[in-house]
Amino acid sequence: MSSGMRAEEIVPLQIDRMACTGHGVCAQILPRNLTLDAHGYPILLDALVDPDDGDTAIRMCPARALYWKGS
Amino acid sequence: MTPATLNSTGVQLLDSLEAAGLTGRGGAAFPSAVKLRALTRRRTGVIVNACDGELGAVKDGWVVANHRDDLLRGATIVGRLARGQVSFAAHRGSATEERLRRAGVDTLDVPGRYVSSEESSLINFAEGGLARPMTKRPLYIQGGRDSTGRRIPPTVVLNAETVWRIAQIAEHGPEWFRRYGTAAEPGPRLASVGGYVGRPVVIETQAGVPIGDLLAAAHTRSDAEYVLINGLGGAFAPIVAITSSPWSREGLARFDARLGPGIIEVLDPRRCPLDIVGDLLSYASGESAGQCGPCMFGVPELSALWQQFVRSPSARHRRALEVNLGLLPGRGGCKFPDGVAGVARSALAVFSDHIAEHAAGRCRYAARRSS
Ligand code: SF4
Ligand code: SF4
Repeated sequence: MSSGMRAEEIVPLQIDRMACTGHGVCAQILPRNLTLDAHGYPILLDALVDPDDGDTAIRMCPARALYWKGS
Repeated sequence: MTPATLNSTGVQLLDSLEAAGLTGRGGAAFPSAVKLRALTRRRTGVIVNACDGELGAVKDGWVVANHRDDLLRGATIVGRLARGQVSFAAHRGSATEERLRRAGVDTLDVPGRYVSSEESSLINFAEGGLARPMTKRPLYIQGGRDSTGRRIPPTVVLNAETVWRIAQIAEHGPEWFRRYGTAAEPGPRLASVGGYVGRPVVIETQAGVPIGDLLAAAHTRSDAEYVLINGLGGAFAPIVAITSSPWSREGLARFDARLGPGIIEVLDPRRCPLDIVGDLLSYASGESAGQCGPCMFGVPELSALWQQFVRSPSARHRRALEVNLGLLPGRGGCKFPDGVAGVARSALAVFSDHIAEHAAGRCRYAARRSS
C-alpha cells in the first residue's frame, strides 16, 4: 500500500497506552499533532497525522506503542 | 450476512434479539444482536460476567441467586451460537462464585479489584494473564494479539443479566419483551438501590418508571439529599430534582447519567458530600491498574487536587483541577479514567453550593457533626 493511498483513507494514529513508557520521541517527530503532559506522556491533539511522519514515529517509538488504527 | 454454519434456530434467535432491541446490561448498552451476529463468524469463547464490578452493583449476583436455571439456559444458547467454551466470571470469594461452582459451571475467580471485571481484563485473566485491561488494539471478539504480542483467541464477554434476558426472549419472544420499557430502551430491566435506605433492593423494573418509585421501593430515608448513579463510571444528582424524572436516557441526560448498569446509591446526608467524593477519588487512585501513564499518575493527582480544592476552593485550585480533568478522558487503555473524571465533574456541578460554603470558610456538616 502506498503512502498516497493511505492519505486518502485518513487512518488516524493511535497510542497503545499500556505499551507507552513516556519517552516522548513521538512529540519530537510530530510536534503539530502531539504534545506531552507533565509526566511526559503524549496528548494526541490531532490523530490525522501526515502518513510519512506517522510511519517515522511508529518506527522510532522505543515502546512500539504507536500504530495506525485497525493495524 | 448470515454464515453457513448457523442453523435455522440460530438465525431465528438472532432475529428475535434484534426485534426485541436487547442491549447489553453491563452498562455499555451495545445492541446484543450485533454482538452475537459477529461471534457466529468464527469459533468464539464466551465469558458471562457476573462480577458486579461497579460500585454498588449487586444485580449480577442476584440473577445467579434467583434465576440460575434461566441464566444457564441463556449461556447454553449463546455457547451454541459461538461454538466455543462458556465460562462464568465472579469475584473471588463471593457468594456468587460459590453458587456458580455449586452449579457445576466453569468459573473464573476474578480478584475483587475495580478494573478486574472490565471486558478485556476478563479475557486477559481467562487466557492465564492478570485480570487487568488490555489495549483494544484488536477487537477481542475477533481475536488478535495484546500489547506484548500474546495471542488472544476470539472471546466475547456478556453481562449476566443480558444472558438471562436472551433466555427470556428465546422463550417468550420479542413482543413480550417490548411490552416493557420504552421504545428506545425496551425490555424488563434490573435496578439496584442501596446506600442510605431502609431496605437495599434489586428491583425488577423497566426504563421510564419515575426514579422516585425506585427510591421508594428501597425505603429511601426521608432526609436523604443526593444519589450517585452508576458508581465510579456515573454521576451525582439531587433527589428533589430527580425524583419525578423518568429512569431513562432522557430523564437522566440532564445529570449526564445513563441507565448503565442500573445502580442508584443514596448518599448518607450526615456526611459532607465533598468528603464522600474525596473518599471515592481516593479509592479510585488505588484502583488504577498502574499500566498507563495518564491514569497511573492522573487519577492519584486528581484525588490530591480534589482534597486541596475542597479545603480551599480558590480559582487557582479550581484551574489545577480542571486541567487534570481535561487530561484524563481518552488517554487510558480502558475507560476507567474517563469514568472517574466524569464523576468528579458531576460533583463539581451538583455540589456547587457546598463548594461555595467551603469557599466562605463554612461547612454545614461540620456543624451537624459537632451537634
Ligand atoms: S515515543 Fe512511544 S513510548 Fe514515547 S511517549 Fe511517544 S508513544 Fe509513548
Ligand atoms: S487506564 Fe488505568 S485502569 Fe485502565 S488499563 Fe490503564 S492503568 Fe489500568
